Amino acid sequence: MDTVDIVLCGLGGQGILFMTRVIAQAALDKGLNIMGAETHGMAQRGGSVVSHLRLGQAQGSLVRTGSAHFLLGLDENEAYRNLPFLAKGASMYVNVDPKNFPRQEVRDFLAKRNVTYHAIPAGNIAMALSAPQSSNLALLGYFSAFSEGPVSKGEFVATIERLSPERYREKNLEIFEAGLSRGLEEKGA
Amino acid sequence: MREEILLGNGAIALGLVEAGCQVVTSYPGTPSSEILPEVVRLVKSEKLDTYVEWSTNEKVAFDNAFAASITGKRAACCMKQVGLNVAADSLMSSAYLGAVGGLLIISADDPGPHSSQTEQDTRFMARLAKVPVLDPSNPQEAREMVGLGLEISEEFRVPVVLRPAIRVCHARQNIAFGKIEKNQSKSVFQKDPMRWAATPRFRLILHGELNKKLDQIGEKFEGLSRYNFHNLQPGTSYPLGIVTGGVPYAVIVDILSEEGRSSDIPVLKIGTPFPFPQKLADEFVSACEKVLVVEETDTLIEYLLRDRHKVLGRLSGHVPKEGELVPGVVHEILNKVLRDLGMEALQEDDTEAAELLKTLNLPVRKPTLCPGCPHRAAFFAIRKTRPKAIFTSDIGCYTLGVNLGAVDTCLDMGAAITMASGFYHAFEQDGVEKPIVATIGDSTFFHSGTAGLLNAVYNGARFILVILDNLTTAMTGMQPTPSLGIRADGSEGKAISLERAVAGCGVDFIEVVDPYNIKEMTQAIKKATQYVSEPQGGVAVIISRHPCLIAYRDEAIPEKKIVTVSDDCEDCNFCIDRFECPALYHDQELGRININRQICSNCGVCVQICPKGAIVEVDES
Repeated sequence: MDTVDIVLCGLGGQGILFMTRVIAQAALDKGLNIMGAETHGMAQRGGSVVSHLRLGQAQGSLVRTGSAHFLLGLDENEAYRNLPFLAKGASMYVNVDPKNFPRQEVRDFLAKRNVTYHAIPAGNIAMALSAPQSSNLALLGYFSAFSEGPVSKGEFVATIERLSPERYREKNLEIFEAGLSRGLEEKGA
Repeated sequence: MREEILLGNGAIALGLVEAGCQVVTSYPGTPSSEILPEVVRLVKSEKLDTYVEWSTNEKVAFDNAFAASITGKRAACCMKQVGLNVAADSLMSSAYLGAVGGLLIISADDPGPHSSQTEQDTRFMARLAKVPVLDPSNPQEAREMVGLGLEISEEFRVPVVLRPAIRVCHARQNIAFGKIEKNQSKSVFQKDPMRWAATPRFRLILHGELNKKLDQIGEKFEGLSRYNFHNLQPGTSYPLGIVTGGVPYAVIVDILSEEGRSSDIPVLKIGTPFPFPQKLADEFVSACEKVLVVEETDTLIEYLLRDRHKVLGRLSGHVPKEGELVPGVVHEILNKVLRDLGMEALQEDDTEAAELLKTLNLPVRKPTLCPGCPHRAAFFAIRKTRPKAIFTSDIGCYTLGVNLGAVDTCLDMGAAITMASGFYHAFEQDGVEKPIVATIGDSTFFHSGTAGLLNAVYNGARFILVILDNLTTAMTGMQPTPSLGIRADGSEGKAISLERAVAGCGVDFIEVVDPYNIKEMTQAIKKATQYVSEPQGGVAVIISRHPCLIAYRDEAIPEKKIVTVSDDCEDCNFCIDRFECPALYHDQELGRININRQICSNCGVCVQICPKGAIVEVDES
């Protein structure tokens, strides 16, 4: 299988690294090799956090511009900032109110490259389940509904169960499921 | 078989315990900081008795590891590249003295730079010291090279440097665990003053010994085909070959493979840049009409290739002389070279996205202190009380005080104090009494503050020194400082009083203040100002003590204060310009300042700073 390149982005505190860990662990459990790159240090104090994840045969840890198959954005502006990574025919999943997404200026660009985009108010969903810090899991659940990428919904659930600290486990799964049903509804519609 | 997705620094830690390294020391610094905590994790899970310590600085870490090595134990010290500057004295000297048990110096480079003051190349430091250096391309290779480095060190009795760059340290890769066993070696120190306390006459002999060792190691590296290799087809000649190593090797291999060019552009990978595998390189270069050198961050390999007519790289203007060689940049380099040589270029990179981004006016997210950070409160009070002062500062989160106009200089670890005394004497010579306020963090003070402070007091400098004591080493990930009395493995150590350390440097004015109370902080600065100009005055030290919010989530804000902005706000922007809290923002709809509840820490400090008193505490009851 060719390498699957994923760029995950958002702001500090939104749980980018946990989301990356879940995908990476689930992929490893399926026998894929993992390469990834993270942000630490002074850069972390800035707000923008990006994580690159490469599943398959990559040697380097960074995704090349124009190569990412998936972009998962926990913040709208950060998703735009990482647009150059998108490959032709890629998919992006963003935590944002679907009514206003994407910005007009971006639409042509996405259409020209056959990039499909999906928007979910993951922050609101997490907030409604009284876990405002967990928009990452809502977005991941939503992403899993579209069955793109090498990891299935069930595999995600099993990995979240395993990696979540005990006191958050149930909540994390609940929020993942909420994102998932939202995605399934959209897919069915 | 146990397999985990490890950070590169975790893979290095695994390499250390697998190789039976019995002593690991470190001073934290991005991108090396996670190595020691990962060693601690493995020591606990595998029930080893490895000695670990957070040393007070890199030189201290080096010397501790060196001593362990000459008792026959395997030892390593870990630091970032600029930390190796601090340990340079030890590195240079130890190269002559040698090692007994394997001695590995792990110095992590930061091309970019992402979190450093320079993009310096550790490989050149190793070359300068005349010790071997290993340059891994990914976490797995870094883990293997740890064992290799310790073996070479032991075999040839010389310290060895491992240079992982940030994309190795902070890469994540799945790593299968090997066998981990407790190393039972016992310390033996064989006295040999002509070596371990060598005088210059013996140093000359030791230098000769070192040169012989390097020749032998060079021979060994020629045949080290796991880390030094090329993919030339015998009898084939090529218009272009690439010589590379470290992280750029991984990037190049990916690009050539994606572009289907792996067979027509051969690659020579150099895993041991010094001593340089010269014969292997000659063999490669002779099969190519031109060779492009792609290395981070300087020009070590490029200098070492002998056929100068064939070499393209930084010196020929084909490779940028600064900045990280990310895949996009390497792609551009390759295309420029291929075009210059009249060869078929790679697919063009799509630049439309980059153009589009320029038109979107996305918010610039510059690094900033966290909401509720006690440093912000301290900087606000400093700037307010001594607006005309020169603000010398130092390395840590608080360098971001530059955003509040309260940091004018940042040279290196400890320079807040040494530059403050330097400024004082330079102005004093002209008869000018220049107000100077230095800021330094608690960990940085313990790292390299005391020598400068002693010197300032001894030589009669006059300035205010504010030690920003947040009870942790925050920027690098919350490592303990000596004042906490917690050691690297979580065990209890002796807590060193910061006040007593300062007093021990000869300082007679010491005040301890909680910066959250801006009024008290301001008063302390005024008092210190007075002391500095008194006939018997000198250096006044204020210890601005409040726990870091990330390290001490609950204790840092014992009483949460819900604040709001009232209609008294005149939208003067003073709070944003001078206090720069990320939770304060200009609300377009309200036409005034508002508070972002999602990130507000409820510290309540901003209530004290609004000139109109428009930021107010809400009575929750």
